Amino acid sequence: MLLRVSNLKAAYGKIEALHGISFHVEKGEIVTLIGANGAGKSTTLKALMCLTPPESATVTAGSMEFNGASIIGMETYRVVSELKMALVPEGRHIFGNLTVMENLQLASWSRKNENTDEDLRYIFDLFPRLAERARQRSDTLSGGEQQMLAIGRALMTKCSVLLLDEPSMGLAPLVMYNMFRTLKKLNADGLTIIVVEQNARLALRVADRGYVLDTGEIIAEGPAEELLRKPEIKAAYLGG
Amino acid sequence: MELFLQQCVNALQWGSFYALIALGYTLVYGVLRLINFAHGDIFMVGAYIAFFVSTAFLAPDGVFGFSRELSLALTIPLTMVFTSIVGVALERIAYRPLMRKGAHRLYVVITALMCGLILENGNLALLGASRKTLPTLLDKNIYSLGGVAVTNLKLWVIFAAAFVFVVLHFIVTKTRMGMAMRAVSWDKFALPLMGIPLERVIVFTFILGSSVAGLGGMLFAMSYPVLEPYMGAMTGWKAFIAAVVGGIGDIRGAFAGGFLLAFVEIMVAAFLPSTFRDLFAFSILLFILWQRPTGIFGKPLTTKI
Repeated sequence: MLLRVSNLKAAYGKIEALHGISFHVEKGEIVTLIGANGAGKSTTLKALMCLTPPESATVTAGSMEFNGASIIGMETYRVVSELKMALVPEGRHIFGNLTVMENLQLASWSRKNENTDEDLRYIFDLFPRLAERARQRSDTLSGGEQQMLAIGRALMTKCSVLLLDEPSMGLAPLVMYNMFRTLKKLNADGLTIIVVEQNARLALRVADRGYVLDTGEIIAEGPAEELLRKPEIKAAYLGG
Repeated sequence: MELFLQQCVNALQWGSFYALIALGYTLVYGVLRLINFAHGDIFMVGAYIAFFVSTAFLAPDGVFGFSRELSLALTIPLTMVFTSIVGVALERIAYRPLMRKGAHRLYVVITALMCGLILENGNLALLGASRKTLPTLLDKNIYSLGGVAVTNLKLWVIFAAAFVFVVLHFIVTKTRMGMAMRAVSWDKFALPLMGIPLERVIVFTFILGSSVAGLGGMLFAMSYPVLEPYMGAMTGWKAFIAAVVGGIGDIRGAFAGGFLLAFVEIMVAAFLPSTFRDLFAFSILLFILWQRPTGIFGKPLTTKI
């Protein structure tokens, strides 16, 4: 098992955001965490990346294991460079004062002795738009292009597990569908994906399995198509 | 006209000192959004380190008994190294623990202010109130260029500032570490997500800023060889203001602001009673900030910091 989270509790100061959640991810899966605002989806992803306050909540109890080894308390940059787990954060957080190319180069920091040409070609193949705009300052990109860059940048860390926090936010429907198609392709190429989404229907369509979070607790889980059919999930998260 | 040109040369030298200090303010601010108010005193520490190192090297009193040339050549890098150790120590001991605890930036700034006072008074306590004089490391040569007298030291100071500018500009725009520094200034949160240790970038920034201030302190002590614990206070404040007027966070701004402030100061002192100097200088800077609150090269921040 690639990732196993058990009874994880996390709190922002005195306010507990996760009340002991358990889930797991197998290698090669697409797993989605769905739920309403404030359900704890982002907190879960940030906890997996070992982000700490003020950026994230403090893990107060439970365990997180990557390939059987505990990762609690690990430094975030080592989660990226050693465990090869990468996060595309909510709101993208691209470096707007750097060019598209510089954003990509920066993300290969921990692989300084490796040749990254191959990876750049792969990313530009995936997102030809980024190749066209490689020399452009990245804050001049459109929202969709910025999301492509955020994903491309994560891939430049040579991650084997990709975490995405609300990747569809602020995107036009067509752009959104294309992005999920890209995630499918990345998964077919061997990437394990954990995606947090408010657009539950779309996320469940591409995912293998899903977990439904509600105010810091997992209230349902199972294969994605099963969740899509469950009446109570339909009513609460899929718009009837 | 000759007087004016002469004063221009003086302003270039004086501005070089401001610029070398302002750089440290601007680099640290760019990366941490922290105004490191101890930085002027790092400049003072640099001057003292240069004093001790060169005195130790130089014949006939020094332990090593080296020639002037050799002493000078060794004092420059060692001063930069030792000064950056002091700068990094401040970051480690004072700023990092606070920032790790998520303290508001204001508390870190106040801590910096206190660290500056500790450096000043620590120096006073350790070395006493007697003033130190840097030994002569460079034989004075005066060149006359069309009636304008220029000493070799002045030229070296101006050259050093220009050289530092080129090197820093290269580091910030062309190297991976420079790229990371620019990235942090835009979005500190996302840097570790790229697999980059944020603290290493911060330490590197302090090394750059402090070593350049150390070089500035040494050159200052060579130009005005009397050292005292408070020498960094006023100069540091002025360099900070220069950095803000130039546009804090931008290394071009540190130079522009430094030279501008020096130019105004020198010209006022040359053509008006010298008691008017600071009043005029700061009034002009106030006017510039009034017109451009973000400084000459500064851009208004459009993103959250």
